[in-house]
Amino acid sequence: MTTTLIIRSWLAFAAVGAGVIHLAVVIGSPLVFGALLLALGLGEIAWGIVILVTDRMVVPRLAQAGAIAPLMLWALLVVAATLLGAPAVAAPLRFLPMAIAAVFEIFIGTVLSATFRRLAEPGRPASTRAPASAVRYLCAVLAAGVLVGALTTPALAATQAGTVALEHGGTMGGMMDMPGMGRH
Amino acid sequence: MTKSPNRLLATVFGAVYLLVGLLGFTATAGVGFFATKGGLLLGLFEVNIFHNVAHLLIGAALLIAGLSNVRAAKTVNSVVGAAYLLLGIVGLFILNSAANILAINGADNVLHFASAIVLLGVGLGADKNVRATAHA
Repeated sequence: MTTTLIIRSWLAFAAVGAGVIHLAVVIGSPLVFGALLLALGLGEIAWGIVILVTDRMVVPRLAQAGAIAPLMLWALLVVAATLLGAPAVAAPLRFLPMAIAAVFEIFIGTVLSATFRRLAEPGRPASTRAPASAVRYLCAVLAAGVLVGALTTPALAATQAGTVALEHGGTMGGMMDMPGMGRH
Repeated sequence: MTKSPNRLLATVFGAVYLLVGLLGFTATAGVGFFATKGGLLLGLFEVNIFHNVAHLLIGAALLIAGLSNVRAAKTVNSVVGAAYLLLGIVGLFILNSAANILAINGADNVLHFASAIVLLGVGLGADKNVRATAHA
């Protein structure tokens, strides 16, 4: 499956961002959740690096399923915990980090779906776009890098591991002064 | 050089980090070399002298590599990007501790993460035919 370098870079950044968050959530999670999140996080980071290093999108269908399935499972868990009146069931998976990881996952799933649809159109060549110039590519990568950095950092700070690091009075320069973050 | 994303990025980031390293000294008057509480650069990014020196060294490495050739730029971008990714993760957990010898704060962590993503992404993703374009 062929995609442009810019699209692959954005997908890789989103995958690495989601992977780092999922790995951070492992700390403090029950064993079953922790094992799943560990495998998911490592898989996301590995996939992100592989699609950057190789010039093609590897296992795109599996990546699409891997982006959507955790989101569905988390949503089901939250709904089940609410219906059963047992919020402790879903509590280990803190909302903010899981929500930000979900944003990355939705982005990956959406881009892959759009790419599949484009490639499925009859008579459509695999790639019709000329490679982007170095300046255009760098602008696209810079924008994505700043966005992923700005989303990943507060997500990590909101994990249990991040909270422990901050609970001695730090607010990350005032950036973490949000309800439910930093101090408990 | 403008045809190689790695050379362009290394040169621009190198110049910016050198500038940031120099500007950092305007915010670190009276701050210790390894002080865990530093001065605020641009009112946002906390730095101490060690942090400034690290910026200067990283900026110099990136600038030299960017002005040299594609292979050097690609290598330095990837190595510095990986180091920043590690620092971005570790930095989060050493805030407010004695191990915070770079006087890192939250804004620094965001910048380190963003730099890591961009440097690592371009270093690993762009200029695959590095042998053919080693002097592009």
